[in-house]
Amino acid sequence: MLMMSRREGEVILIGDEIEIVIAHIGRSRVKVGIRAPKSTPVLAREMKLVRDENVAAAALSPIDPGHFLDLRRRPLKLFPPTPMR
Amino acid sequence: MPELTSIHFGKISYQESAAFHFPHGLPGFERARTFLPVSLPDRDPLIFLQNVEDPALCFLALPILAADPAYRLEVSPDDLALLGMPPRPQPRIGADVLCLAVVSLREAGPTANLLAPIVINLRNRRAVQAIAPQGGYSHQHALLPVEPDEVPVPPC
Repeated sequence: MLMMSRREGEVILIGDEIEIVIAHIGRSRVKVGIRAPKSTPVLAREMKLVRDENVAAAALSPIDPGHFLDLRRRPLKLFPPTPMR
Repeated sequence: MPELTSIHFGKISYQESAAFHFPHGLPGFERARTFLPVSLPDRDPLIFLQNVEDPALCFLALPILAADPAYRLEVSPDDLALLGMPPRPQPRIGADVLCLAVVSLREAGPTANLLAPIVINLRNRRAVQAIAPQGGYSHQHALLPVEPDEVPVPPC
């Protein structure tokens, strides 16, 4: 992985069309500005992980009998949930 | 009483007050705003989240403490605002919010998404999938099957 040190206000170029601006450096967070063509999707990595995971979870029909037969035969190790007040 | 016809459960009549409302939907399902929690006695503690707008969309979920009894919930100020809650203190699971993990059934075994729990404000039923990267939790936390010779831990 290419590592670069940048100060607040400095810019990184990726190709001809993408600019990354280090807009603000806080104590534990960095604010980054991104200038990219509309056709380039820009999103936080965890957002993509969650989106992909949701799509995968929804694609497998949750009451597909095959899966549930399997779950019943080998019940999941679950911890008792805290009772709701 | 409103009704919907789920492709999984057939016709369901429900009270408006039973539904969860996601103002922004879920990542990947931004138009899915209203979900009904459905539980089946023989599949406790699993909870099915049946979408009201799309009869084919249904997520499988678990109370997050059933997947990880030591789970520490941390909701961002933006998500708390969406739930209609103050930025501090953090909501308590069970007392202020219901907290569920979306379950994926995959070939290698079922997993729960602990990176992005579904948090429901118990007072107004507003809900959000709260992405919490700072907690270091996995989006594919393995739910281990009970070993055949293992005695299940009785509920305390």
